[in-house]
Amino acid sequence: MEKEGFWGLQWQSSGAKLPPELNSGSAASDQLPQCFLNLNWKQPMAHDADFESALSSLVSSPCSNPPASADGNGIGELIGRLGGICNSNDISPSSRYRSADASCYSTLLNSPPKLNLSVMDHRQQGRGGPPMPVNRVPGPHIGPFSAEPGFEDGAARLSCFAGRSSGSFAGQFGFLEPGNLSQASRSQSPKGGFGSCVGVGQSRSDRPAHLEMEMRSKIGGSSTPEESSLSDRMTADASTLRTITDNNSGKWKTAAKRKGREAPLSSSATNPPANMTEEENSDAKRCKPADRNGGAKNAAVKPKTEQNGDPAHREGKDNDHKPPESPKDYIHVRARRGQATDAHSLAERVRREKISKRMKFLQDLVPGCNKVTGKAVMLDEIINYVQSLQRQVEFLSMKLATLNPQMDVSMENLLPKDMYQSRGLMPQPVYPAEIGTVLSYAHQPQTVALQSIVTSSLEAQFSLNSLQSSLQQSQSMQHATTDAYTDAPSQLGGLWEDDLQSVAQTGFGQNHGKQIGTVMD
Amino acid sequence: MDKKHDHRAMFSSERGHDGLVERSRRIKMAAEMGLARSSRGRHWSRALHRRLLRRKGATRGGSCGCKDEALTSSKAVEELGVGENEDDAVEVEARVHALQRLVPGGEELSVERLFEETADYIEALQGQVSAMRALACLLDELERDKRVMGG
Repeated sequence: MEKEGFWGLQWQSSGAKLPPELNSGSAASDQLPQCFLNLNWKQPMAHDADFESALSSLVSSPCSNPPASADGNGIGELIGRLGGICNSNDISPSSRYRSADASCYSTLLNSPPKLNLSVMDHRQQGRGGPPMPVNRVPGPHIGPFSAEPGFEDGAARLSCFAGRSSGSFAGQFGFLEPGNLSQASRSQSPKGGFGSCVGVGQSRSDRPAHLEMEMRSKIGGSSTPEESSLSDRMTADASTLRTITDNNSGKWKTAAKRKGREAPLSSSATNPPANMTEEENSDAKRCKPADRNGGAKNAAVKPKTEQNGDPAHREGKDNDHKPPESPKDYIHVRARRGQATDAHSLAERVRREKISKRMKFLQDLVPGCNKVTGKAVMLDEIINYVQSLQRQVEFLSMKLATLNPQMDVSMENLLPKDMYQSRGLMPQPVYPAEIGTVLSYAHQPQTVALQSIVTSSLEAQFSLNSLQSSLQQSQSMQHATTDAYTDAPSQLGGLWEDDLQSVAQTGFGQNHGKQIGTVMD
Repeated sequence: MDKKHDHRAMFSSERGHDGLVERSRRIKMAAEMGLARSSRGRHWSRALHRRLLRRKGATRGGSCGCKDEALTSSKAVEELGVGENEDDAVEVEARVHALQRLVPGGEELSVERLFEETADYIEALQGQVSAMRALACLLDELERDKRVMGG
């Protein structure tokens, strides 16, 4: 693959310089980066597997999280180093030195801006503007990365993913700590992003901003769990992050669209992707102006352009043609976004956030939906799940029918009073076979419903009432435990289980009695 | 309750040697009824209830009284915010339609309401399945015991 080749080139070219850099780099930073680097450099970068494994070792080794402030410089240097390593051409020895550090994707939540700056700085060449004026790290140049548009996408995606998944939304371009990373990656579907990142072709052209991200993300992408962290590393470029997010999946399309139309700062944090991107946007805005020595936050055209790129990217890597178009649109939107306080867009945004929040809830409800990205696919999963549940109900009803040949649903009247009074077994077969009446007691103490079950089992009748009552109970229990929209008592669950056991016992006892009785006769 | 009559009429007519299919259908209907009643206040439960009663032959009209919910599906996709691609939008819309058909009473819901109802419906279905499974296990045990004792 191209990227491998690219990497290989870089590594080979800079291989000779690496060891000394590594050694020297350790002085500047923790041993952490050094160990990463060593791990990494040992392996040839020629092959995908090697590449990825090296990257994984790189990524996964962030054993220690250097304290944010203390190691901020170190981290920046690391980042720079990474960039420098990748880009042997433009990096001066010192920067290369620093770029080596970058390979260690330890992320610092606390000092993202600084780190971003350092990274951005190095990346700066040929780019619109690193977030902040980086003094420390002359280093890692992602410049050469611009030669690899494919990396951009991947990096962008990964970083976006990471950004999204990491909890460091809070306006910090996150250098996630490894611990956070794992959580973040778990919570998100990084794999999807990574896959897209890896598979990304050269669709994007000339996005130097993304190169860095891509590189980083690609590096980190090899270890999917850590891709989020990697992406965070790349948070230097907010737009790149957004691009990544955009690239990722249709799911983020919404976010992208939202971002495009709505104010940068999302009002609700319910939609992580949207928020993430928006946060990144704001961060990018902050970073970029800082980089340009305090330019206006929203003023820079570059961020706009990059943001424009993001929605395009978001729409899918397939839409290569989109990026060029989107900048124009984005600029429009962006301009409007500054004043996006009109009721219409606000209402739209709110509504979309609500919808995405509901989709997230559905995603949690449907098992195995976490890895799925994209509205269509997720809706597919949901539909399949509902259909399978309905089929299960049918199947179980058939099974229950076979289990209970005597379907005597006697229509004797329900005797509520009796039900209330006695909790034990009701000797008379008169059981409220009345479905409606039984159900009407659903909200009453569980003993009522249980009695129905008990009596029905005693009579060896399959009482639809009991089924409904049990359903009712389970419903209540279910609602209590899982319903997000209503609040129901949660003790129903425990009660249900106890009752069920008692029901089984009593049923057994009664059956025994019956059998014995008949035998005796 | 008038429902009583309906139930009684339905169940007292057939007894004893019902076909398996008939029995299972009744069981299923009972289960669905239980499902519908257990989640009162939910749009889908009301719709399911209405559907069941209609199937039973009772003419039971009445609106659900849900306002601000009825939005045609054409708007639904827009609400989703999916519009980057024509294909995507069409795909998503098709799936939304399918979901609307699955969830009782979903045709008239907006997308966000639809998702809400779907979540609740899924939970209810899960509870129903687990309850039915528990009952099946219980009856299985009883039968086995009966066989053991009687055999």
